[in-house]
Amino acid sequence: MRSLLAVLLLLLAAAPSLAQTETPIGIHIGVATCAGSNCHGATQRPRNSYVPGNEYLIWSKQDKHRNAYNVLLQDRAIKMARALGLPDAANQKLCLDCHADNVASDRRGVQFQLSDGVGCEACHGGASRWLGIHISGATHAQNVAAGLYPTEQPVARAEKCLGCHYGDETRFADHRLYGAGHPRLAFELDTYTAIEPAHFVVDQSYIERKGRITDVQVWAVGQAIALVKQMDAVLDPKHAPKGFWPEFAFFDCQSCHHEYGQYARPTTTGLGPGTVKFNDANAVMFKVAASRVAPGTASALSQHMLALHKATQDDWEAVQREAKAVRDAAQSLVGAFSHHDFTGEDMRALADALFALADGDAQFSHDEQITMALEAITTGLKASGAIGDQKAQAVDNAMKAVYAAFPNDKSVNQDAFAKALKGLQQAMRR
Amino acid sequence: MMRFLPAALVAALLAVAAPALADDPIHLGVQSCAGNNCHGAVQPIGNSRVPQNEYFTWSQKDKHAQAYTVLSNDRSKRIAKNLGIEDATKASLCLDCHADNVPSAQQGPQFQISDGVGCESCHGGASPWLGPHLTGESHAANIKAGLYPTDQPLARAERCLSCHLGGDKKFVAHKIMGAGHPPMPFELDTYTAIQPAHFVVNQSYVERKGRPNDIQIWATGLADDVKKRMDLILDPAHAPKGVDFELSLFDCQSCHHSMKDLQWRARTTTGLPPGRIKLYDATSVMLLIVATRIAPPEVGKSLVDHMLALHKASGENWDAVKREATAIRELADKLVPIITAHDFTKEDAIGLGHTVVVSALDGNDLDYSGAQQQVMALGSIVAAMKQLGYADDKVIAALNQALGGLYDAVADDQKYDPDAYLRALKAFNDKLPS
Repeated sequence: MRSLLAVLLLLLAAAPSLAQTETPIGIHIGVATCAGSNCHGATQRPRNSYVPGNEYLIWSKQDKHRNAYNVLLQDRAIKMARALGLPDAANQKLCLDCHADNVASDRRGVQFQLSDGVGCEACHGGASRWLGIHISGATHAQNVAAGLYPTEQPVARAEKCLGCHYGDETRFADHRLYGAGHPRLAFELDTYTAIEPAHFVVDQSYIERKGRITDVQVWAVGQAIALVKQMDAVLDPKHAPKGFWPEFAFFDCQSCHHEYGQYARPTTTGLGPGTVKFNDANAVMFKVAASRVAPGTASALSQHMLALHKATQDDWEAVQREAKAVRDAAQSLVGAFSHHDFTGEDMRALADALFALADGDAQFSHDEQITMALEAITTGLKASGAIGDQKAQAVDNAMKAVYAAFPNDKSVNQDAFAKALKGLQQAMRR
Repeated sequence: MMRFLPAALVAALLAVAAPALADDPIHLGVQSCAGNNCHGAVQPIGNSRVPQNEYFTWSQKDKHAQAYTVLSNDRSKRIAKNLGIEDATKASLCLDCHADNVPSAQQGPQFQISDGVGCESCHGGASPWLGPHLTGESHAANIKAGLYPTDQPLARAERCLSCHLGGDKKFVAHKIMGAGHPPMPFELDTYTAIQPAHFVVNQSYVERKGRPNDIQIWATGLADDVKKRMDLILDPAHAPKGVDFELSLFDCQSCHHSMKDLQWRARTTTGLPPGRIKLYDATSVMLLIVATRIAPPEVGKSLVDHMLALHKASGENWDAVKREATAIRELADKLVPIITAHDFTKEDAIGLGHTVVVSALDGNDLDYSGAQQQVMALGSIVAAMKQLGYADDKVIAALNQALGGLYDAVADDQKYDPDAYLRALKAFNDKLPS
């Protein structure tokens, strides 16, 4: 502990000199800097601390972000790299941009280690500018003003997470990468925050410092931003069709990667059997949220999505036109979603809309998003007290049954799923 | 023998005998063939040249007899619904392959559409030839009168593949697959055997029709399959419009595979990078093996060059796709007479067997579709070795046992494990004479 403290003091001493040559984004000074045993590397809450203090341990023991770099050294990653014509994965910008805190070398501090994977500063921002005031008890607002990334804000969190978990203008898992063996990227902001697992606890102090942010807000904002990012990628000239194939990563994985037994069911796309379906899971979820908050936008979005599905088959210019309209619709509700006070009534209505959607839809990508949306809603209902303690256990058990209906990444046990949803609906009744 | 003919059949024969033209003969119906002293006998009568139980083999064991009936089951109802078809049993889209769907003017009084793929679907409408056939004409005379020469490898390939692969008139487009139609693997010699065949190759058969060579049937089927596949690619109806492309030209498992496994492998016969959809090439790869063995070296060289160019162009440049498909089609066409004229010897059988095994063992084609064609190829090669006496009974028994392991390894495309397949292949290779 002494040595850590010494390192920390050294770093603090270095801070002014860093400030002089400061880049607008700051130096990433490394996980070790944050993991002091009386900072975020404690096993029990340090005296007078607002926060649990064990953030580092949760991250290092339980969070897959911690192993993001290490997996690049494993057999699978090496095989993938070979398939892509690369000598390895652990030295490639293509991989490191999401599997590590891959900032430029002049922004890496002395204790920075690439092998820490997706560490503290990958999400919270390079700490050189704000570590000093952060340690000396500045308010959260001051820390944020100094450069701490506001991960508690749904929009900011969505932007940060989806930059890798969907992709952005510099990072994108295209179908070549999937074909080489990259796993499918599934994501829903609120659920993934929880299962990370979260290294924060929403208590009185948290609410006083950061405000009360509800799970359903996080879910809805996450859907809107995911849809914006998907449409941005569709509009990106880099991902325009080469030859006559479009970028398959925009399409619903299970639209092709399914067993023959699961033959066509009526879908909301207007497309006939045997067609490759654009991944519309975020759009469908966005529509559910929008129907409650801004019904006009929801119905406009539906029209544009239908036109987009039709256009994906044969007219990429029309796809781009529709993608622009879908993007605008999604962007227009980001603010509304992040400020909307989702009441118990709202949450129950959203759950009902999801139950209705699941009934007879039967598409893996939709069912997966429905499941995670229900996770966010039931968490929200419990947090708000709309589901009391005596019902909470039954709801949790019912949620587990819903998850259990996914035996693998390409099929849903439709009977088990329908039955589990009925069970959840029952458990959620007042 | 004539006096035992059912009166109805005689009437039908008399009614249709005169007006029937060779081009659009009357299909008299399965019943016309199934008389109990014709092809519906439980055992051979007297010194018959054929087993005479052909009708029972077909009706009891052959799925062709159920081809129409399946159109009424739940799955077919669902497929029809997905396609916006009211009734699969009345739609020519379905009936063209699930029954002997000739125009009503060609349907005789005993013809029943519900017989499915019956005798005359394959052997041709019997009105012009049933007379000579009954009166003991030679096989050649029957064929001259209109009997379809299913014993000839190329004619058989043409007939079977017209449904089992399709062409410009009948084709299981991806729309139909997507609605729920199962995939359609095929290999001429294996499918002849597992149908099951309702003929027996005995002395009389050999005298009348020649001794069939399973390898020749396999190879001819491959050449015809590749030709027809290239025709399907060249069909303007299948030209791509964005993603609205005839996806059934591609390898099913190229898309329909689990995302869990690292299945991509560099392949010298495709050259494709990961993440691309692969045109079905399993029969072309097998044909390449045949060409390399029996054709002048430039044919195989040219075939592999054009296959690589075809894969490269697929997804990028349709004009180039058409150019390459045309070149491959010409090569396959050129190979047909070479295959038909070739006497596949014991050395050929063993050599081809080893090359097929090596094509998988070197990791060049371990795709499911490739494995499926390899297994059926080896099945045909072993059948030939048995039929032509290229190995003793003990060797054949061991090879057949090893083939069982190979069939198990490719039994389910969703459970296909290339490593398990390779183990089964090595076990087979151990039994193959050198």
